[in-house]
Amino acid sequence: MQSDSERLELRRCMKDAVVRQDAAAVVDFGRRLLASSGKPADVMFCASTFAAISASLNSQLGARSLKTYVVRSVTVEPLIPFLATEAVLSNFVLDLQVGGYGSYVDELLNSASALAAFHPDLVLIILDQEEIAGRLPELCADGIGAEVDQEIDECVARMAQLLQSYRSSSSARILLQGLVVPDCTSLGDVGDANLANSLPNSIQRLNQRMAALCGTISDCVFFDVDRLAARHGRVNWCDARMYLASRLPVSAQFFREYSRGLVRSFSTLFRASRKVLCTDLDNTLWGGILGEDGAEGIATGSAFPGNCYLEYQEYLKQLSARGILLAIVSKNNEADVREAFSLRSADLALGLDSFVAHKISWNEKATSIRELAKELSLGLDSFVFVDDNPVECAAIRQQLPDVAVVEAPVLEPWRLVEVLSQQPFFDAAVVTDDDVNRVKEYKAQAQRAELANSVNSRDEFLASLGIVCTFQSALLAPLARAVQLLAKTNQFNLTTRRRSAAEVEEFSSAVGGQAVVVRVRDRFGDAGVVGLALARNQGDACVIDSLLLSCRVIGRGIETALLAYLGDQALRTGATRLVGEFIASKKNTPCAEFYSEHGFTKIISSQETISDSIFYELDLTASKLTTPKWISVEGN
Amino acid sequence: MSNDLVPASLRELLADIFEITPEQITPELNMTAVENWDSFRHLQVILAIEGEYGVQFDPQRIPELSSVNLLLEELQKKGATL
Repeated sequence: MQSDSERLELRRCMKDAVVRQDAAAVVDFGRRLLASSGKPADVMFCASTFAAISASLNSQLGARSLKTYVVRSVTVEPLIPFLATEAVLSNFVLDLQVGGYGSYVDELLNSASALAAFHPDLVLIILDQEEIAGRLPELCADGIGAEVDQEIDECVARMAQLLQSYRSSSSARILLQGLVVPDCTSLGDVGDANLANSLPNSIQRLNQRMAALCGTISDCVFFDVDRLAARHGRVNWCDARMYLASRLPVSAQFFREYSRGLVRSFSTLFRASRKVLCTDLDNTLWGGILGEDGAEGIATGSAFPGNCYLEYQEYLKQLSARGILLAIVSKNNEADVREAFSLRSADLALGLDSFVAHKISWNEKATSIRELAKELSLGLDSFVFVDDNPVECAAIRQQLPDVAVVEAPVLEPWRLVEVLSQQPFFDAAVVTDDDVNRVKEYKAQAQRAELANSVNSRDEFLASLGIVCTFQSALLAPLARAVQLLAKTNQFNLTTRRRSAAEVEEFSSAVGGQAVVVRVRDRFGDAGVVGLALARNQGDACVIDSLLLSCRVIGRGIETALLAYLGDQALRTGATRLVGEFIASKKNTPCAEFYSEHGFTKIISSQETISDSIFYELDLTASKLTTPKWISVEGN
Repeated sequence: MSNDLVPASLRELLADIFEITPEQITPELNMTAVENWDSFRHLQVILAIEGEYGVQFDPQRIPELSSVNLLLEELQKKGATL
């Protein structure tokens, strides 16, 4: 806990920064104040200070505003400032509205409810056990629980009906909070543990079922509040006095942890996880300094303290298994590092080939990371950097503010995995096959680059790749992958509209609508689903709402093949013109001339428009879009 | 009555929650006088005071603690160091 004078100083700094309209400084001082003060009054102060500069949070920090509606059966009002504050620390600005205590069924089912009228971006569903599974305590009490399974089925079916009904009328993202597993019942600890249908065991099953249900609803995430309760102690998680007197579901001492967990859960609905972890070697991947201690002297392996580093290596290996790319950024002699990896391979969980790239040199680390971003065709905001040296960390924070920096606790190496896992960088509610294949794909990329160096012309190179494009409905991609592409593609993205799963479904089902993805493979590997387009007919024109391509396949003519496919489909559905739209963003300049390069002409609007859209058109009866000759096309 | 009868720590806490200045916090200030002081802010006040001074109020007394003076008296009764 900080002394009062430090607290007051930080609060004064925040006020000064508000006067200067310096949003980054306000958030930074706020973060420092909250990191060391547990006082609710400081949270209230931050909440009102952040609220006063919300417009600057949007404009200066790119914070996303979310109209958020809380559907609830419990008291959440005292939590609101905590939620709003934690959201700002994750770069969201919440515009919150809270529903009535008893009206959640009506709110979710009735298309004329206060919830529907609010047009939220996000709906938080926070119901207690009484509402979700009111009969379970009684059915579990006898220790046999003959009707428990049936009751759980019915609870899940009721919830499914609420969610599906709401989903059919709104594309808002949904967070469904699970139940806290009760800590003690009349069966006692022994009975609760051993009887399959004890209330704790039944609630656990119900939670799993609700999580699975959320997986079947588009843009819906399950918030496992029980995990938080267990982590911080179920005994104190809920203050029975306040729950029974005021229906407050969480004890005031855990408002922050609760809010942080909730924000972390819904964040995955709005932003993609980071894709690359760059690790330092000395005192990070292993203990000691290779240049001084030698390959035999560095600490790694099954004995302490080497096993602390082994734990970190195992953690990285697990990240790699689900598609997070690993890279080495180290100031060392490359020959020494190769020697260490080969001599100590039995003591290391990772080999050099576990890393898709390495920058082992005496160059500035910022330079190395910039090079990596270029080689891997990824934005710096996809990178996480782990290093024990505070000076290196500070340099990256300053020079590459988009990169997330984790400082390895050099004196407490056993904490490294914990420090890393507390960060939300790699959170994902959904993992697709394409994620898992990404590591292989990046290795194939390196082989392609080698081939490119060995052939003479670009056309010859492309022909030698043997590229096959398969077009299919975005709903079958699977849909989660299509939405993931919409959420995270920045560079080759003509309009950067972050469409939700429900919106993709709308395009697919509209008359003359198209929601199409392209899957790409070549002789080196299967890149998976890498491109997407959404379009619908308006009169005689097929209007392209979204068109995007993962940056790792740009420049191979796939974008042209996708456009040609859209043109063919448009003709089939009776359109005679193809209309394209471009909205400039900070990152999409590589595709600014996409439509003009394909023979489209700019539509000069007669009226003054305030939108940033530039429209292009192509007369499909006069010109034909052709797929490059080096690409074979599959699919209808 | 003057506001120095309210300890500085309580003044600041209440000011943060009601979004007014600490100088405006006087002993006679009550739920009807402060626009922001509704039943939810009241719960917030109670939770913040409990956290700050390490005390617990009886839920039945909570709705009755509707002025700064009453809050102060209850805190003194609980032996809180202000």
